[in-house]
Amino acid sequence: MARQTRRALSENKRAERRLAWLLCAPAALVMLAVTGWPIIYSVWLSLQRYDLKFPEQREFIGLDNYASVLTNQYWWSAFGVTMLITVVSVAIELVLGMGLAIIMHRALVGRGLVRTSVLIPYGIVTVVAAFSWRYAWTPGTGYLANLFTPDSAPLTDRTSALAIIILAEIWKTTPFMALLLLAGLALVPDDLLKAAAVDGATAWQRFIRVTVPVMKPAILVALLFRTLDAFRIFDNVFVLTGGANETSSVSMLTYNNLLKGLNLGIGSTMSVLVFLTVAIIAFVFIKLFGTAAPGGSNGGRR
Amino acid sequence: MRLAAALVAITALAAAGCGSGESGGVPTVNLYYAPEQNLEKVVDDCNAQAQGRYRISYQVLPRAADDQRTQMVRRLAAQDDGMDVLGLDVTWTPEFASAGWILEWTGERKAEAEKGTLAAPLESSRYRDKLYAAPKNTNTQLLWYRSDLVERPPQTWDEMITKAQELKQQGKPYQIITMGAQYEGLVVLYNTLVVSAGGHVLNEDGTQAVFDEGAVRALDLLQRFASAGVTNPSLTNSKEDDARLQFQSGDGAFQLNYPFVYPAMQKGAPDLAKNVKWARYPAVTANTPSKVTIGGYNLAISRYSNHPDESFDAALCLRNAEHQKFSAINDGVPPTIESIYADPEIDEAYPMKTEILTELRDAAIRPSTPAYQNVSTVMSATLSPPADIKPQQVADQLRSSIQDALESKGVLP
Amino acid sequence: MAGLATEHSSARKWRWGLLDAIVVVYAFIPVLWIASLSFKTPETLTDGRFVPRVWTLENYRTIFTTDQFVRALGNSIGIALIATFIAVVLGMLAAYAIARLDFPGKGLLVGVALLIAMFPQVSLVSPLFEIERNLGLFDTWTGLILPYITFGLPLAIYTLSAFFRQIPWDLEKAAKIDGATQAQAFRRVIAPLAAPGVVTASILVFIFCWNDFLFAISLTSTERARTVPAALSFFTGASQFEDPTGSISAAAMVITIPIILFVLLFQRRIVAGLTAGAVKG
Repeated sequence: MARQTRRALSENKRAERRLAWLLCAPAALVMLAVTGWPIIYSVWLSLQRYDLKFPEQREFIGLDNYASVLTNQYWWSAFGVTMLITVVSVAIELVLGMGLAIIMHRALVGRGLVRTSVLIPYGIVTVVAAFSWRYAWTPGTGYLANLFTPDSAPLTDRTSALAIIILAEIWKTTPFMALLLLAGLALVPDDLLKAAAVDGATAWQRFIRVTVPVMKPAILVALLFRTLDAFRIFDNVFVLTGGANETSSVSMLTYNNLLKGLNLGIGSTMSVLVFLTVAIIAFVFIKLFGTAAPGGSNGGRR
Repeated sequence: MRLAAALVAITALAAAGCGSGESGGVPTVNLYYAPEQNLEKVVDDCNAQAQGRYRISYQVLPRAADDQRTQMVRRLAAQDDGMDVLGLDVTWTPEFASAGWILEWTGERKAEAEKGTLAAPLESSRYRDKLYAAPKNTNTQLLWYRSDLVERPPQTWDEMITKAQELKQQGKPYQIITMGAQYEGLVVLYNTLVVSAGGHVLNEDGTQAVFDEGAVRALDLLQRFASAGVTNPSLTNSKEDDARLQFQSGDGAFQLNYPFVYPAMQKGAPDLAKNVKWARYPAVTANTPSKVTIGGYNLAISRYSNHPDESFDAALCLRNAEHQKFSAINDGVPPTIESIYADPEIDEAYPMKTEILTELRDAAIRPSTPAYQNVSTVMSATLSPPADIKPQQVADQLRSSIQDALESKGVLP
Repeated sequence: MAGLATEHSSARKWRWGLLDAIVVVYAFIPVLWIASLSFKTPETLTDGRFVPRVWTLENYRTIFTTDQFVRALGNSIGIALIATFIAVVLGMLAAYAIARLDFPGKGLLVGVALLIAMFPQVSLVSPLFEIERNLGLFDTWTGLILPYITFGLPLAIYTLSAFFRQIPWDLEKAAKIDGATQAQAFRRVIAPLAAPGVVTASILVFIFCWNDFLFAISLTSTERARTVPAALSFFTGASQFEDPTGSISAAAMVITIPIILFVLLFQRRIVAGLTAGAVKG
């Protein structure tokens, strides 16, 4: 009797696995087919000295490119700038996004209007939004510059330019954070909150002691996605400063070396390094902070 | 009749839809060029003159020079045969030639391209003494000044700076407005100063970074200019159009910019325009006239073109005297053929043609090397912001980083 | 779903109203600024005023004189819709497997999907270009749709599997006990419950395709396939140096209005989908 049950189980299991692979196959195939070769080719290029302008000088040099890039001040300056932008913007977006999520969730009036408004910045073409900020902060032309910095050009000074880039980034992607947080916020059981209120907890205490802990998985997922995206910032830097005054991000630097400088070796090396950094960040989030991957052990069936 | 026209239209559409190919046996020559509003008319005229031998199809490239280059390079690197005639910025010839992407001009066609063409644009189409492109149009900056504030235009930079400081003290508009953002325009400015001062950035071959005394003097001048308190606060974020708008807003006494500002000013600030005159770009040393960096576009033929013969002829037609005159008048792009400047027909569009020609006859070109993009990127990053330049230090720094850039070593900023 | 207060006092309403106003201002000011730029004449472009002194429709007229912009719009909408549809469908299949089924390599798949989305697109552009050129896909809709699906899939899979985890699967079990097969149970019972999640994932992927600039500019060369973000860099001013600020702003407004309307119409759906989990609370 037991053996029959076990056989039935393993047959079910096998059928389940087959179904699972069948379902995942199309997506996996598309992703691998399109990016497989380009990624491998990129890594292969990073091991070569290859400049399109001097094709006859192409040669395999192993990890020399990595040494060149990792000992270069421009790389580390861009790395530092990118880290700064990432950390500051994600931190602010978390707070702002949480606030927006709460408003979207519990607004008593104008809920539809607020929910629409929150999603607008996310839906605007990034380059267009960047132009909006660029003109707004140009002295003379722009209302913000005339209001806050009538005497200087904020985009020409490193600190203020970075601040503006961060602001532009926050404006654009907080909605994304708010959306993900809203999903988590909605999972907080009202009974728990009611019970806490009955016990005399203030709104702030209810938030800190009940809401946030329940929302932890959603917060971590939101942070993970936003951090990975923020690290690869390009459009806003490109339009606002063009990377001038050492405001380049690592993506800008890669673009300058790969597509402008036509140095495929160095450019590919930078791409791989950016990729590795992003992978490390993801690893830190998943393993150390315990961000739940959707198929992970704390997911699964109910 | 209408049916025939419809059939012709459908056939033409079908042919166009097939991209680069043959339309009923007539080879298509694909012209990849920056957006120029009336170039289509020139193309139509050349097609009419070709009488069925070939048909030019104008494929527009993006507005910004960098984007144009990226698009063309990507396809050339992949040996794409869909491009025939390429519109190259004057600084790209050595790069494209060294990479083996463009064909050399020889024999009769070379003579045709060189005939009557100004020396500086022609120099920018050469690499290692071979001709690789035919100059189509050129450009050069002038000094624009407010005649209601200044009686005679300054002859040298020092004179201009002093005059501006005087005006500032008198509480009048005083700014010297030009392009100082961290981009190619800054390199153009610096190059003008260097060559005007008799200095050199690279050696004759373009293989070594020299940075001689003239170059250092130019660094010193640039730094003095940027820190003399006579510039627009947005200098380090200004490109050509920003500078034009700043001058039009009335804050400036002097502007160093391309002739496009003239018609734009007539439209955008007609009252101001009445008081604006132009003069030759100021010199660096007294009694040695300035040598101004030229811009412009040359036409080259892609190595992977399927119809090189037709492409050469098409290019020659597009940039011949008649068409250069047309483009000059209608699109504001100064011609490269000297005789056109004597033609009274361009007077209305170019009241400043004498000054332009004078400058073009004695012009400067940017360092001629395949690694020019690298050199330019390194230079604009190091020279920005110009007020912070320490001449001797920057010279040493540039000498080594440009040498690296020439050899394609190291990382670009 | 009332708030915690048992009465909606006017003080609370005013407070919420104020918060709403702040959010609306935050979201709309930059958009209104672009609108303002689009209505300004070239002469007054730099006067620094938020509200134009002189209004003109010239910029809007200009962008519609050639069919360059209209075709770009058509390309954008078509390519984004197709790519979104395919990405969401494929994503749904994979997300179901990830959320519901147990199989070896699940974590690997999710991890690889994530990493693929994270590789800098800048260095994938040239190899992709060469592949597409060899396959004849350069400057075609398919040429853009494929990369968009590829980079939209990780987003779709992640979002959808997160939603699918929250669906009460007991209903599916009940349907199976009643005799339905796995596929039937999925289609008839689960799919409707998954709808809000699908809508959310679709919107996220659509906006990603809509916004993309890098692939659009690198994998197209004519109006056949060029989308709006790329087309913006082909707009010309009166000369090679003049920025066509007015035209770009007008074009920006034209492509933003549909997004605003779309979001307005579907915001209830979107948010309902996200808050569907609250039903169980």
